[in-house]
Amino acid sequence: MSELYAAIRAGFEALATFGVLPNTFFLRFVANAAIAAAVIGPLLGILGTMVVIKRMAFFSQAIGNAALTGVSIGVLLGESYTAPYVSTFAFCLAFGLVLKYTQYRTSLSNDVLIGVFLSISLAIGASLLLYVSARMNTHVLESVLFGSILTVNDTDLNVLLAVAAICVAVGAPLYNHMLLGSFSPSLAQARGVSVKLVDYAFVCLITLVTVACVKIVGAVLVEALLVIPAAAARNVSRSLRGFVAYSVVFATAACFIGIVAPMQYEFPVPSGGAIILVAAAFFAATAISRNLLGVFRTASVPS
Amino acid sequence: MSVPALRFREVDVRLGGEDVLSRVSFDVAKGEIHCIVGPNGGGKTTLIRALLGQVPHEGAIEWADSGTVVGYAPQSLDLDRTMPLTVLDVMAIMNQRRPAFAGRSSRNRAAQDEAIARLGLAGKTRRLFGFLSGGERQRLLFAQALVPNPGILIMDEPTSNMDDDGARLVEGIVRELAAAGTTVLWVSHDWDQVRRVAATATFINRKVAWSGPPENALPAGPSPKRAA
Repeated sequence: MSELYAAIRAGFEALATFGVLPNTFFLRFVANAAIAAAVIGPLLGILGTMVVIKRMAFFSQAIGNAALTGVSIGVLLGESYTAPYVSTFAFCLAFGLVLKYTQYRTSLSNDVLIGVFLSISLAIGASLLLYVSARMNTHVLESVLFGSILTVNDTDLNVLLAVAAICVAVGAPLYNHMLLGSFSPSLAQARGVSVKLVDYAFVCLITLVTVACVKIVGAVLVEALLVIPAAAARNVSRSLRGFVAYSVVFATAACFIGIVAPMQYEFPVPSGGAIILVAAAFFAATAISRNLLGVFRTASVPS
Repeated sequence: MSVPALRFREVDVRLGGEDVLSRVSFDVAKGEIHCIVGPNGGGKTTLIRALLGQVPHEGAIEWADSGTVVGYAPQSLDLDRTMPLTVLDVMAIMNQRRPAFAGRSSRNRAAQDEAIARLGLAGKTRRLFGFLSGGERQRLLFAQALVPNPGILIMDEPTSNMDDDGARLVEGIVRELAAAGTTVLWVSHDWDQVRRVAATATFINRKVAWSGPPENALPAGPSPKRAA
């Protein structure tokens, strides 16, 4: 894969030479981050539509925060400070699956249950992080929380591509089933869909994507990239196809602009923060458009 | 009675420490329209959920042919009103493996279009599901239950929000299906409708009060809901 990344980076450099791309693309880590953005954008854009339709924004927020705890556990167990993937994947998967399992076995409402799990996870994460912070550079901590493109290397790109491949292999054939399971579990069951199985599969996908994106977007903000582009897309779509297409465009554009703009204009902001601010700008613009354009205004009238 | 397509044997459902259904037993014959009637909270929808494996039950629910195509028309979908899903999107989500945003697959496409047209929604395929009227949404939910052609059709008050024309249309289609061999289990509040369509009916109020031809047991006149 390294040859492929090198070839893409050479392409970026050629485009930068001709002035098509900014000069920052001569920097290896910017080129790496751009490759990551090209994968993350479509992935989060499509998954985000499911998160919004299935009303799982708060759930993905909890998974994002669990990543923080996972990173702390990884550092504590002696994994690399910059890539504690084993612990983070393991903890987040366990967290997501236990949360889903508990949802099926409690009469508590979802928001209350997620609130409880999120608080517990944050408390463990904060305690561990403080404990391990003595061993870490503060900048490492910052990059875990809010993302940094400086440290994105070929290993991170490999992890991201592997996760993207799993998402396509599992998510594409189950996309409709996952939606149907949330519209009407009984109807899904009647149509031969194993509702619990696809629910657990969806939790696994959200978890894998969240962990794979922590490097770029940061543990605190990664779930925002699942929700905001899709929410912006929902503001201006009149069909599922439009919804997904806009969500992918907004998420990808937010990633690229959020990575390149701070470098280009020398804003000292973390990549995660910049990406989410760009996505938020798309949301604001689409929310205003929706209120101004007649075709969407009718769609915002509550029933 | 011919061979039962569905058999409920001493079915118990306990939810939250309460008996929702107790020792429910009745048969539904193949190719017959069987209505489930009873008061609100009597356990009709719970019985359907038990049948579809959505709530745990004791006792036995036996399907004569476990491989039969099940069509199910729910009362509603749990979907935000402003969600950008069109009528065609909803049909695609239910009928194809290809992600619905990637376009409609050819599988069942003609049957879907025919069902949509039969229910009078042909001109509304690009409308958002959330912006259909209550009756139109029910027409769509009934239409999807027709694709693929069901061996057993289960319906939970499919015409409760429809106008008389819509209800008669659904009744006509269901009669045609039953005549062609489809077994129909129909939860209804409308006793007039039950008398019009059902060969047999079961009155459930947590237990089976009676089961048999509706004219023998249903009181004359409108349903209690209308009378109230």
